[in-house]
Amino acid sequence: MKKARNDQFFSNLEKFVDKVYPNQPQRQPYLSLKSWPSPRDEAWKFSRLGKLARKNILPLSWGNQQDFNINKLIKDSISLVFVNGKFEKKLSDKLFSEIVIEEVQIEDFKEIINKFDNLSVKNHPTLNSTLSCSQKFFKIKFKNDIKFYKPIEIFNLGGSENTSIHPFIYIDLEKNADVQVFQHYSTHAGLLTPFEIINLSENSNLEIIKIYDDKISSYNLSLTLSVIKEEANLRSFALIKGGEFTRSEMHTLLEGENSKADINGIYLSSGNQHHDLTSCIYHNVPNCKSSQIVKGVLGEESTAVFQGKVRVEKLAQKTEAKQMSRAIMLSDKAVSNSKPELEIYADDVICGHGATVGELDEDQIFYLSSRGISKQKAKVILVDAFLNEMISLSISDKFHDIIYNETKSKINKLLANEYE
Amino acid sequence: MPILEIKNAELSINNKKILKGLSLNVNEGETHAIMGPNGSGKSTLSYMLAGRDGYELDNGSITFDNTDLTPLSPDERSNLGLFLAFQYPVELPGVSSTNFLREIFNSRKKYLGENELSHLDFIKHLRKVAENLSIKDEMLKRYVNFGFSGGEKKRFEILQMALLNPKISVLDETDSGLDVDALKIVSEGVNNLKDKNNAVVVITHYQRLLDYIKPDIVHIMSDGKIIKSGDADLALYVEKNGYSEILNEKS
Ligand SMILES: Nc1ncnc2c1ncn2[C@@H]1O[C@H](COP(=O)(O)OP(=O)(O)O)[C@@H](O)[C@H]1O
Ligand SMILES: [Mg+2]
Repeated sequence: MKKARNDQFFSNLEKFVDKVYPNQPQRQPYLSLKSWPSPRDEAWKFSRLGKLARKNILPLSWGNQQDFNINKLIKDSISLVFVNGKFEKKLSDKLFSEIVIEEVQIEDFKEIINKFDNLSVKNHPTLNSTLSCSQKFFKIKFKNDIKFYKPIEIFNLGGSENTSIHPFIYIDLEKNADVQVFQHYSTHAGLLTPFEIINLSENSNLEIIKIYDDKISSYNLSLTLSVIKEEANLRSFALIKGGEFTRSEMHTLLEGENSKADINGIYLSSGNQHHDLTSCIYHNVPNCKSSQIVKGVLGEESTAVFQGKVRVEKLAQKTEAKQMSRAIMLSDKAVSNSKPELEIYADDVICGHGATVGELDEDQIFYLSSRGISKQKAKVILVDAFLNEMISLSISDKFHDIIYNETKSKINKLLANEYE
Repeated sequence: MPILEIKNAELSINNKKILKGLSLNVNEGETHAIMGPNGSGKSTLSYMLAGRDGYELDNGSITFDNTDLTPLSPDERSNLGLFLAFQYPVELPGVSSTNFLREIFNSRKKYLGENELSHLDFIKHLRKVAENLSIKDEMLKRYVNFGFSGGEKKRFEILQMALLNPKISVLDETDSGLDVDALKIVSEGVNNLKDKNNAVVVITHYQRLLDYIKPDIVHIMSDGKIIKSGDADLALYVEKNGYSEILNEKS
């Protein structure tokens, strides 16, 4: 018999906050949520949390720092390491003077959160649990005009089976800053709720690449709120391959003219994994561009969903918004959903969207086999091509091979399981 | 020496008979042309030979180089030395042309027990072969057939043929969509590969191609069968009088 859904986590959270932060009333408002969103909630219809709700998960006390191997993807990157959601200076690289990491309070970024209040992030489980129980709130600030040739790699590590961790990071780019950030989620946590705020000042550029590769039993409910000012450019790419359940949810507010947001991603799903890319882009001003392009490869009994919303306000003329999703099913037991939502109130806009789900193309397989390539090899080539094209389109050339390699082991495993 | 023997091939697609007892023998060193009206089953014949899923014989046999082809997969047939230039080459977005060509070249070498070429040696070899077909480096940097013009696609097929050096090549309307200059380049490419140990079967609508690739034997195909065979003059006759007279003569 199934254990009853009891949402124990939220009362654990409350007890934890009362005990650990007895004198911090600013955390109290974020304890209002008492249960996980139900499948009746439109935003969670395709990503059900019933199984999570039946788990008895406790917020993790930090305890002593363990030793971790930090495996950088980029040789000369600057690492920032968070263990159990807590910043570990000793494990991290030294920063340059143009980058400042500082502790902030909820009040310091409350204004940004408020901008999203009416945009369905109110009472979001990630926002609530992280703001109520994250130990500290860190902001990483990139000063004016910094052109950062060394990428930052943020590592989220730690966690254990029945505990939760709640990383918070506020990435703040001042004017004209140009930065590349990698976010690694490689935890063992039963639950993690990474909450991230991105603020891009005028004419700044951020390329952020998130690699979700938590333990196979983890629930990762990541939430990112981004605000983009004039002429600024956000290039975000999520590679989801880990966890039992991984949701990468991004809300992006284009509030300065001539700004741009590309919120792309790839999910590679196997076994019983569930992967979710949810992206909402709000065009509030004229002359901005956005794209949401998502590709997935699903094997075995995995499930996945892409939810892409674009809202173009009446004022936001000359908007260009593009949305596309494509999934390749390697197994007939896998399920992929796509939920496009276009809310367009302006009349002079170019919006394109399309979604396809299917098996690998038989004509393409035949063409390759007719040249002496085995069917198995042909499938590997076609899946590679599918991802290769997506990676080329989404990220800087200099990171192409690194990210491509990050997909490789998972893809080989997926294909081996399906076609042996 | 016969390379290819098709005996009484019958094949249906979606319960519709398309090939209705087709026979064809091709010997080493020969060039054959197959002509026939649209819908007579020429492309179906080519897919059947290449071993496409769904194009299995209901009846009849195909022997290639003394091997029964019917149980073999498309890649096995290719490895034995059978090549099909597609009427409609397939686009492979995300697959770089150069990588693709190296992959097929080396897998053939491996099958033949010959040494694979290093990356650099392959590129040199590829340049030479491509140049003969007026294929520019720039085209090889693109994805396979992706965004190629009709003529580029056809030249890319012949480039693959040149790299694989097959025993028998079936060219399905490789001339369609080519202007006279491109037609000359492609035909020369095919003629250069021709020797006394291999064979070519060209499927075409137009006698024009046969001015450049001289056939030893011309077959007229209609309604899933070869209804008449003759020498090169048969193609000239068809060009002048159309198919109708031959079709009538038959019925
Ligand atoms: N995939 C298919 N499904 C159903 N009918 C087909 C298919 N492919 C070809 N045919 C039919 O088979 C016949 C022969 O087609 P095809 O071999 O393409 O002729 P040709 O190449 O001589 O023009 C035509 O009647 C065509 O409609
Ligand atoms: Mg045809």
